[in-house]
Amino acid sequence: MNRRELFKHGAAVASAVAIMGSIRDASAQAQEIPIGIVYPMSGANAQIGVDARHAFETAVNIVNAAHDVKLPTAANAGLAGLGGAKIKLIFADHQGDPQKGRAEAERLITQDKVVAIIGSFHSSVSNTVSATCERYTVPFVCADSSSPSLHRRNLKYFFRPAAHDEMFTSAMFDFLDAQKAKGNKIETIALFYEDTIFGTDSSNVQRKLAADRGYKVVSDIKYKSNSPSLTAEVQQLKTANADVLMPSSYTTDAILLVKTMSELGYKPKNMIAQAAGFSEKSVFDAVGDKLAGLISRASFSVDLGVKRPSAKYVNDLFRSRADRDLNDNTSRQLMALLILADAIDRAKSIEGPKIRDALAATNIPGENTFMPWKQVKFGEDGQNVDASPVLIQYSGKGFKTIFPAAVAAGDPIWPMNT
Amino acid sequence: MTQETQIPAQDLPHDAALTHFAKSRRNQLIRAAVIFAGIALVPLAVRDTYLQNVMILTLLYAAVSQCWNILGGYCGQISLGHALYFGIGAYATSVLYVNYAVLPWFGMALGGVLSAAVALLVGKLTFRLKGHYFAIATIVIAEIGLLLVHNWDYVGGALGIQWPITGDSWATLQFARNKLPYFYFALVFLIVTWLITFKIEDSSWGYGWRAVKDNPEAAESLGIEVFRSKMAAAALSAFFTAVGGGFYAAFVAYIDPESVMSFRFSLLFALPAVLGGIGTLWGATLGAALLIPLTEITRSYLGGSGSGIDLIIYGGLIMLVSLMKPEGLLSLFQFRKGRPA
Repeated sequence: MNRRELFKHGAAVASAVAIMGSIRDASAQAQEIPIGIVYPMSGANAQIGVDARHAFETAVNIVNAAHDVKLPTAANAGLAGLGGAKIKLIFADHQGDPQKGRAEAERLITQDKVVAIIGSFHSSVSNTVSATCERYTVPFVCADSSSPSLHRRNLKYFFRPAAHDEMFTSAMFDFLDAQKAKGNKIETIALFYEDTIFGTDSSNVQRKLAADRGYKVVSDIKYKSNSPSLTAEVQQLKTANADVLMPSSYTTDAILLVKTMSELGYKPKNMIAQAAGFSEKSVFDAVGDKLAGLISRASFSVDLGVKRPSAKYVNDLFRSRADRDLNDNTSRQLMALLILADAIDRAKSIEGPKIRDALAATNIPGENTFMPWKQVKFGEDGQNVDASPVLIQYSGKGFKTIFPAAVAAGDPIWPMNT
Repeated sequence: MTQETQIPAQDLPHDAALTHFAKSRRNQLIRAAVIFAGIALVPLAVRDTYLQNVMILTLLYAAVSQCWNILGGYCGQISLGHALYFGIGAYATSVLYVNYAVLPWFGMALGGVLSAAVALLVGKLTFRLKGHYFAIATIVIAEIGLLLVHNWDYVGGALGIQWPITGDSWATLQFARNKLPYFYFALVFLIVTWLITFKIEDSSWGYGWRAVKDNPEAAESLGIEVFRSKMAAAALSAFFTAVGGGFYAAFVAYIDPESVMSFRFSLLFALPAVLGGIGTLWGATLGAALLIPLTEITRSYLGGSGSGIDLIIYGGLIMLVSLMKPEGLLSLFQFRKGRPA
């Protein structure tokens, strides 16, 4: 233990000396700025971590090399504000466990001296990681956890550029209202959600908005995630036959839901999904033929490239690395790192409080992102309220943005099944 | 046999075997004092937060595994549902602190009492089952508990309970960066559970439990009330497991059903004792000292790669031990042979 200790401290001291040394002659020698990435790298959600790695590494490439694209920190190699310093990622695995996330965040901060942390997919883990960051005055950028409770904890070091579930769900109901205004009959809604923090949060908001806007919830079904069978649940859905089915499910359950619906001969009139499984390539590989007309909320869609040239550019970069298109999660992860790099660049410092202040002062217009957002500007609570979500529809081959009109690439197919 | 043990062994210096026994008991205590004092000094040398964190978890799991060992090791009732008691402790402490500002110290005690009561109820239902059937029943009951908490909005449901971020205080057991208070709490907790186990080894209860473990029918015929013995062991074990759960909640400052009540925890409490030597004084501590740092450190330094090497090592180790040394790592050492011949 002692020898390891000695070695570790030695290494820490050496790297600290190296960092300090390089600050002094930053203009001559580019320093490396460590940023912590805390994701599930093993266990049930390992694929999320593997994809995230591609997204973050693509973002590092955009920051560290010169790119001719309208994105923060892309134009020149490295961070101009820190004498062309490069960023470096340090990955940590939390396995979906809040305790492990907390321990890993602490390790990254105290051992690797990361200047900020990005995480963490699971809302429960983002909860403990961000609380740890707060204690160490290190900024936490929440890339893809969408639980609304996260930004309501009065944390000073918490920032979420992307939308949370209430914003996503509002977009769905805005869309329904718009369809109704066009003369389509939409009266009843069926909620179908898993029993996790994600499903609970999602369904709570849907239930509330449905009541507020005068839609009747005719079926309200909570199921155990990773369920071996959904037959009973689908029978209920089929009986209720609501105008819109709103599932909040991850990959395996999403596949099982669609298969079971097909076996029981239930064709929902319309489906609007809370992304998750319904934005995963594997779901469309497995049951895509039964999902033509499915609508999902999203943070990103490849056809955004029509309106935002940078979206195509970034997607091509990501594609060459990961051999797939950016999706709901990877786009948010990639953008989160660019926003953080922009703040570090403006802070001209690697000290937590200074980066925090720079993040709080962030003001990136929508056209300087590759997302459909209006702009990136954080409120007092660290939430970007202008991260406008979009709705995308699966055509049988690919996705098309259908809402809101400002970024839509075409009209929706409605209803999905007659 | 049970009659003899009701008289403290030290009071019978004439019997050579008993003298030997008393001496070995004393030696055990001295050895324990030296070991625990040594552990207490470790953080003075190891100041790295991450390693302190690993040590805290090691001590905590050692202590909770020691609690599990009371029921699983000494009384022979293999429970794979101890996450239920851990969860009750964590939830009682968190709900009382966050909603009613009751200090976690009281929360842990109340959680312990509640947990013991639940253990008695569970015992009433399951102690007529034997062997594997009992183990399966405990898994099922713990899963029921998990589902209930998942769907119970009063305790936060799937959203869990977040502890407020406050200043450092022993009263609320909240320390922002300093790990030492947690370390010493966990160490004292381990010492307490160790002392209880030590006391049990030479008490009529302890002899009764081991008799029940070896052969319930024979124990019954000797006048041991098997059912009551099991109930007592279960309540004691559950009480301290819940205290561990309360501490865990204060330490992590956030709990949700999956992070304190999932089956993984039930396994994690049984494994150190099984690995180190089931039904022994030092088994749980030794097992935890090997298992927890190994899993934590391999995950931290190999897990970021996404290759799962850490999990392969973990699984491989357990297979190796169960194949080579089913009676536990302690059997590698001779010093545990302190019992009278």
